[in-house]
Order: sequence, then C-alpha cells, then structure tokens
Amino acid sequence: MNRFEDQLREAMRREDPPAGFTDRVMRRIQEESRPKVVRMPVMRWLSMAAAACLLLSAGAWRYEQYRGEKARDQLLLALEITGEKIALTQQKVDSISQRTIP
Amino acid sequence: MLATTIEALPAGEVLNRAQAGDHTAFAEIVREHQSLVFSIACHYVRDRETAEELAQEVFLHLYRNLRAIESAPHLLNWLRRVTVQRSIDQTRRAKYRPKSGLESAPEPAAIPEHRDPLMSTMLRKLVGALPERARAVVILRYQEDLEPSEIADILELPVGTVKSSLHRALGLLRGKLERAGKGVRHESV
Repeated sequence: MNRFEDQLREAMRREDPPAGFTDRVMRRIQEESRPKVVRMPVMRWLSMAAAACLLLSAGAWRYEQYRGEKARDQLLLALEITGEKIALTQQKVDSISQRTIP
Repeated sequence: MLATTIEALPAGEVLNRAQAGDHTAFAEIVREHQSLVFSIACHYVRDRETAEELAQEVFLHLYRNLRAIESAPHLLNWLRRVTVQRSIDQTRRAKYRPKSGLESAPEPAAIPEHRDPLMSTMLRKLVGALPERARAVVILRYQEDLEPSEIADILELPVGTVKSSLHRALGLLRGKLERAGKGVRHESV
C-alpha cells in the first residue's frame, strides 16, 4: 500500500448526506404510495363539454328528423286509406245507379 | 423502541421485513446505506445538492424494485451499480463531464501534507475531473475498498479493463500532482 493510495482513500471516504435524508426519502415514498387524484386541466373539461353539447345537438336534430319522417309516412298512409275508401264508395254508387235505371 | 428493535436485526431480516411492506424496515435500509449511496454520487457529480437528489432517486428506485433483491450482499452491489449508473447518466444530462478530461483541470497550487484536508479536497476535485469510467473505478476502489474483480462485476466490464482504467487514472492523478511541484512519494507499508 503506498502513500498516494492512502491519500486517495482518505479523500474518497464516505460522508453522510445532509440531516433528515431518510425522512425526506420516506416522505417521497409515502407520496408515491398514496392514490393519486387525477386533476383534469380546464381546457380538457371545456373540450369535453363542447363535445357533449355537439353530440346532444346532433341527437336532437336526428330525433326531430325522425319525427318528421314518421309524421309524413302517417299522412301518406292516411291519404292512401282515404283514397281507397273513396274509390270503394264510388264503385258502390256506380253499381246502385246502374241497377235503378231499367 | 421499534427502531431499536429493527436496528438490532440482521441485515437479511430487515430486508425481508421491508420486502413484506414494513416501512420502518425500509427506513432502516435507507439509514444503513445512505452514506454509501450519497458518497458515490457526491464524489461523482461533485455537487452535494445534485448528489442528494440522485441518492433519493436511487432509494425510490430500490423501493419500487425491492422484490428483485435476493440478499443483503446483493442489495449492496445493487445500490453501488445503480448509483454509479445514475451518476453517469446525470453527468451526461447536465454536462458536468469536463470537455477535455483531467488534462484541462487546473494545476494544484501546492501539495499539502498527508491527511491534510486541502489535499483531500484537491484529490476529490481531480477524481471528479477523470473520464467517466475511470472516475467510477477510482470511487469504487478507494471509497468502497473493492477489488478489481468486484468492480468489474458492478460495472459489467472485463477485469482487465478495470485494471487498466485504474492504472491509467492513478497515473493521471499522480502526474497532475507531480506537475504541481512536489512529487508523490511511493512508500510501502
């Protein structure tokens, strides 16, 4: 063992970290172990709200469109039935008129 | 009272308890090895604040990987390996590494006598200016008192590479001190 290596050993000897080191490590570990509360930034909230509004508006518009189509179909059906009834009545009137004239 | 009980336990038992989730046992592991981890980091990065942050990160990493530790000697080597690796990463990130190595370090003004605190400060500064691998080898050799084969195991290098790094580092350090005016005497004990 030479003197230079002794000097190196002396220079490289271990030293303690600043006081409270263990406590600081354990505090960080406890913070890490704690379940995290996910906080969403305002911009994310706003974009989510805008997306929800858009979806609702699209849904409402589609529902109104569906109701309009349904009403049109019902009207067409009613007109068709009425037309059939009128035609039937017309046939009956025609047949009665033909029988009464000898 | 509980801390005293933990301190009295063998290292293996403390490790087992920490692995079972006992925070008091883990705190004891931190207390036991804090000077090892902090000193390697401090000698490597040459900045106490950065060294403390780095040492905390090492223990947090240990906490997350506690189950992978097989025994108390394995824990020691794991801490040495991870601390050296993180110190190297830190110096690369922060560009603490000197641009042209030891050659650019300022010449010491005078060589104080053996065990002089000024000599220790100067040597720590010179070691801190060594190239990455040589710095790690010197710290593990003279701080941790490890044999080249043990250093080779920690740094995952061939033993021959460790020996040549050490030889070259000592030559650089001696040369730097000799150029300061007084030679380094080689005395056998």
